[in-house]
Amino acid sequence: MAQKSGATDSVSRRRFVKTVGATGTVAGIAGCSSGGGNDGGGNGEDGGTTTTSSSDDTASGKTQVQFAADSRAADNQDAINAALHEAGLDENIEVDILAGSQVTDNRQQQYTQWLSANRNQPSLLMMDSGWTIPFIVRDQVANLEEELPSSLISEVKDNYFGASVATAQDQSGALHGIPLFPDFPTIQYRKDLMREAGYTDSDFEKWATESMHWKDFSNAVAEARDATSTKHGFTFQADVYEGLSCCDFNEWLTSWGGAYFGDHENLFGPIGDRPITVDEQPVVDSLRMVRSFIHGSDDPEGLDGYAQIAPESVLQWTEETSRKPFTNGDVVAHRNWPYSININGAEDAFGEDLGVMPIPYGVQASESKYEGAGGPVAALGGWHVTLNPNAAKKSAALKVIEAMTKESFQLTMFGTIGWIPPRPTLLDSEEAANVDVIGRYVKQLKVAGENAVPRPVTAVWPQESTKISQEANAALSQDKAPADAMSSLKEALASIESSV
Amino acid sequence: MATDTQLRDDAPGGKSGITVHAVRWVENLSETQFAYLLLVPTVLILGVIAFWPLLSTFEMSLRADALIGAKPIGEYVGIKNYVDLLTGKRNAALTRPFMPGLSVDGQFPFLHVAGGTLFKSAITVTLIFTIVSVFFETIIGFGQALVLDQDFRGRRWVRVAIIIPWAVPVVIQGMIFFLLFQPGIGFLVEPLQQIGLFSSTPLINSVDSMIIVIVADIWKTSAFMALIILAGLQSVDRSLYDVAKVAGASKWQQFKLITFPIILPTILVAMLFRTIGAMRVFGIIETVSSCSTVPSLSCLVVTTFSQRRYGTAAAIAFLTALLIAIVVSVYIWKFNDEGGV
Repeated sequence: MAQKSGATDSVSRRRFVKTVGATGTVAGIAGCSSGGGNDGGGNGEDGGTTTTSSSDDTASGKTQVQFAADSRAADNQDAINAALHEAGLDENIEVDILAGSQVTDNRQQQYTQWLSANRNQPSLLMMDSGWTIPFIVRDQVANLEEELPSSLISEVKDNYFGASVATAQDQSGALHGIPLFPDFPTIQYRKDLMREAGYTDSDFEKWATESMHWKDFSNAVAEARDATSTKHGFTFQADVYEGLSCCDFNEWLTSWGGAYFGDHENLFGPIGDRPITVDEQPVVDSLRMVRSFIHGSDDPEGLDGYAQIAPESVLQWTEETSRKPFTNGDVVAHRNWPYSININGAEDAFGEDLGVMPIPYGVQASESKYEGAGGPVAALGGWHVTLNPNAAKKSAALKVIEAMTKESFQLTMFGTIGWIPPRPTLLDSEEAANVDVIGRYVKQLKVAGENAVPRPVTAVWPQESTKISQEANAALSQDKAPADAMSSLKEALASIESSV
Repeated sequence: MATDTQLRDDAPGGKSGITVHAVRWVENLSETQFAYLLLVPTVLILGVIAFWPLLSTFEMSLRADALIGAKPIGEYVGIKNYVDLLTGKRNAALTRPFMPGLSVDGQFPFLHVAGGTLFKSAITVTLIFTIVSVFFETIIGFGQALVLDQDFRGRRWVRVAIIIPWAVPVVIQGMIFFLLFQPGIGFLVEPLQQIGLFSSTPLINSVDSMIIVIVADIWKTSAFMALIILAGLQSVDRSLYDVAKVAGASKWQQFKLITFPIILPTILVAMLFRTIGAMRVFGIIETVSSCSTVPSLSCLVVTTFSQRRYGTAAAIAFLTALLIAIVVSVYIWKFNDEGGV
């Protein structure tokens, strides 16, 4: 009881009221001070950034344009600024590069938040060609045809890789982004192992620009693997993820003359008013071919004449997990993006023994039912630069974009951080051929670029992509017959298309 | 009266009338009124940081998704999002179905889950994960707590060893299990395939992945259960065991009649916390496998949200909260039975 009484005495109601009053007073004073500080600093994060930036500008006499990109670009900020100034950008303008996530989906979500909040910074955004269109249809990036000279717009449309330009346009063809650099997958292979199987430099020279048939490819890889007792023949990416739907599966089915939505003019819409063609025979055959690669002739759903060359692990592999066995020397051939050419073609890896060829084909383009399908295809990757419609420093940002379209900038970036020039003609240049490692393979990259096929990006692509990768992986894993999987997929795609 | 006298005696002569009135008003409150007064700031803060976002989310769940155009959210559609989710009409827009395929027939238990959808629908995946992981975490955590409650040499190091998994960040833990089951990298894939336990690509197989994710969660979270249960064990009056020994009670009888009844409320509280956490599982799934392979309810919320389907995401979030509330109600009901309140 004594203890209870003491406790009551120590926190009396009177003391409580006094404490609350004192705390409230202190908090109020602190709040006012803080509020004053905020008022001076601008309204929120954007305002604060702008104010600070402006004062910096005044002090240094420079205008800084924020550019949301990746850590690689941020690490090379000085080189990028130097290349921009060399390309004619006003010396008073500098690009301040924000290092975004290396994971493309995370960057997309970050941009969605920024642009939905109508932020005025960053002024420029580096956007994946695979998800620029959803931002365009939501009016979250500026129409560059209203901002840049028409001569510049025409130059981009006429002289850049067409597939890249297509992923930066709206339905009417207006350009909302300028391709910064494209990315095209190729097949990398070990020439030293192929030589053991009897192939020669003249074969490699031919393969560099003339795509092989998948059947010939699988047999050549199997021969090299068997002749050299290499662990695996061919590795690629077939995990349940965006990379399967946008790229690997897209390449297989297109190389067989199939398509997700008929002719390639339907790739970007109109949603709900385009044919869904995933259940057609070329698409099913492409899956059956890959099942043969993975499960061999025992698979009743496989295609005859195709060698078993891939480990089952590919069903769980993405880019890096599939590249490592190749780099470790356990694989004859590997499908991947150009970044891995730089790794595998380095002197401490395979050096000149690394061969590169375009993706093989299933049917020739002339045999394909759909425009844009058949022949050697490469899934389109790469990044665009887009303008924030609320950009704080729009005129300076537009000057940066203009400088980025200069050939000198594009060639310097190719040599500095491996950004492939978005103009096919630049890949024929001596400067491009002289770039260390990847410069040896510009011919192959040009062929891939000229036959690039974009993913069918629309506002509903994220949902469609999920369903495509699930069904394709289920078919390859032998969980479903290819025809059944594609039939289910068609149903799901129809439901998604009709939901908008 | 005593209070009034004290107020008059202590009233500061020079203070403003407002302060005096405030002090007098507070001192004249009844105990209950004073308790409510003390709760006011908490209620206000909760109102701002919890209830307002909750109501805002609910309002969002009554609106259509807006995939095209500048507006992030569409028009008012009432409970359509909820109906579509529960009837399967929204399945195409989801990574995996919200509900499993159900069929009714004359055979017990009359309601049947369609083959293949048990481990591929969010509701069943979440419930299976919760029931299995909480069960094993409670058993293992209890065992660990009983060991830690003993006095033995090196007890400090054993405690550290048991707690370490709880301290490992979920991303690192996820990467450990991801690499363990990655063909060509992890050493567990081949032996487990050879004994027929797993497939050659376990991280794209729903059943295999579910087992791996549950094991990863048990590995990490048993320590949490052990710590809470240990706190309960250490509050048991030791003299009760001395009395039991004198009365000739065996170890099992001591456990059954003394230890377990006393710490049961503590175990229920620990299970309640873990159940709420397990029903919101996301991080360990995304880092070890993927939301496509092990689709929990939180997975559906995150994926639909990132696809800008805000109305659908809000509706799933609310249904998840409702399910959690139902399960929590069961615990609280049981907790009351055990005299915990």
